[in-house]
Amino acid sequence: MGANLIEVGRLEKYFQSYDGADVHALADINFRIDEGEFITVVGPSGCGKTTLLRVLAGLISKSSGTVNLAGHEINGPSRDIGIVFQSPILLPWRSVFENVMLPIEILKLDRAQYHKRALELIEMVGLQDFADKLPSELSGGMQQRAAIARALVHNPRILLMDEPFGALDALTREQMNMELQRIWAESGKTVFLITHSIPEAVFLGDRVMVMTNRPGKVDRIIDVGIPRPRPLDSMGTARFGEVATQIRALFEQKGYID
Amino acid sequence: MADIIQRGTTRAVPRSAFRFFPQFKLYQLASPAILVVLLVLWEVGVRVWNVPVYVLPAPSKIFQALANGLSFHDFWGDQRFYVHIAATLSEAMLGFVVGVLAGVAFGGSISQTPVLESIIKPYIMGFQSLPKVAVAPLIVIWFGFGIGSKIVLVALLVFFPIMINSLAGFKSVEPELHELMRSLSASRWQVFRTVQIPSALPYIFAGLEMAVVYSFIGAVVGEFVGGTKGLGVQVVQMTAAMDVSGMFAALIILAAMGAIASKLLQLLRSRVLYWAPSEQNRKK
Repeated sequence: MGANLIEVGRLEKYFQSYDGADVHALADINFRIDEGEFITVVGPSGCGKTTLLRVLAGLISKSSGTVNLAGHEINGPSRDIGIVFQSPILLPWRSVFENVMLPIEILKLDRAQYHKRALELIEMVGLQDFADKLPSELSGGMQQRAAIARALVHNPRILLMDEPFGALDALTREQMNMELQRIWAESGKTVFLITHSIPEAVFLGDRVMVMTNRPGKVDRIIDVGIPRPRPLDSMGTARFGEVATQIRALFEQKGYID
Repeated sequence: MADIIQRGTTRAVPRSAFRFFPQFKLYQLASPAILVVLLVLWEVGVRVWNVPVYVLPAPSKIFQALANGLSFHDFWGDQRFYVHIAATLSEAMLGFVVGVLAGVAFGGSISQTPVLESIIKPYIMGFQSLPKVAVAPLIVIWFGFGIGSKIVLVALLVFFPIMINSLAGFKSVEPELHELMRSLSASRWQVFRTVQIPSALPYIFAGLEMAVVYSFIGAVVGEFVGGTKGLGVQVVQMTAAMDVSGMFAALIILAAMGAIASKLLQLLRSRVLYWAPSEQNRKK
């Protein structure tokens, strides 16, 4: 693994709630992400996972602490970041190809130069036969693949994913996990993925960041240590069970699971 | 899917009654048949009970008036419909264009500034509760008996549904899509052009369908109140002359104009909104 790509130190985030009181959303968050690493974040709803992602994406500001991307402070949206949300949010009037090209257009990059890259990414996510189709002609899983290609097209250094497969059925979801592992390996990108599924977090992550809430903080960062590429049946290995049990125990301690 | 099911059912029906039109179903005759039956009953009823022509003319008389009004002899004459059709159509179309452009521009600009929206909203609500045709006499005083007053009235009627719909449309963009655009540092203009305008189109088209109807209402009401040409003027003049057959003929022409305009809009809609779920449902 390469050098630190993301450095987060003593990050605090407060929100002003409706009645004027301060809500402590993120408390003393510290972690680093290596270049090329796959980090997954798991935690109960309301633990600040999404807030953390939005701070990393430069969509909201931090209250205090340091948040650096490749040595530079994150103050706002950056070209080095690609985002995938829970819903694919493709533009329904554009073909898959034109959807993937959206960031190129918005960032005013050279279309001709990225044309080939967009097609390659579409092929990498397995949509080569659907490049000219409208999103409504695609299944939910295929739409999310197109969204992943779109997030990668401008060649960002890190891919931020906010429960990207949360809306998919269980079978499609497992298939997408396999696909994402392959895409990550092929693209060599750094991935920061939020999920509420413990198996998904363990299956995909090099390290799993376990978050707890009120205030939202990082309870533990666990090294998964299962060799890659991981086949789906790696979920049946002893090490997988061990890590999953460890995470469950943490949640149990906090009273999230009865 | 739909194709397969349809083909399945036609195959299930052993033999169509109409060998040369296998897609043709007997029930499709029902609508025109009802019309024919009603017209015959009407004709017979008027003759049997000797209903005076100035109360309810028989369909044959209406047809005569229609044929007379549409005859090519003295084409642009006052007794023919053509000059009036041209007048009403140009009023409705010009007013429609002005009202739509103003409505979309206004809806678009206040969608960009929420403060402006909250300031203007009460006035819009106030104007909306006013039946706008009641303003017609005032508009005729201000803009005269010519085409100007009709264009203003039509534009006023068309403006509100278009503005309200386009405002809702411009604001219909999903929050996550806004986030995505923001993560790419998109400018407001880029967001407006690439996301908000296309998102608003289905809403605007729904408004246009209302606006087409309103534009003919506006033109005719404007002509009722004061004008020299147009189908509305003709209806008023025919009332004075007790020419009820002619009035029916004028109404038929108005209905046909409205229907054609709506159909044209539908064709445009299916070309522009090829991607919208509503269009895909219509195709099925």
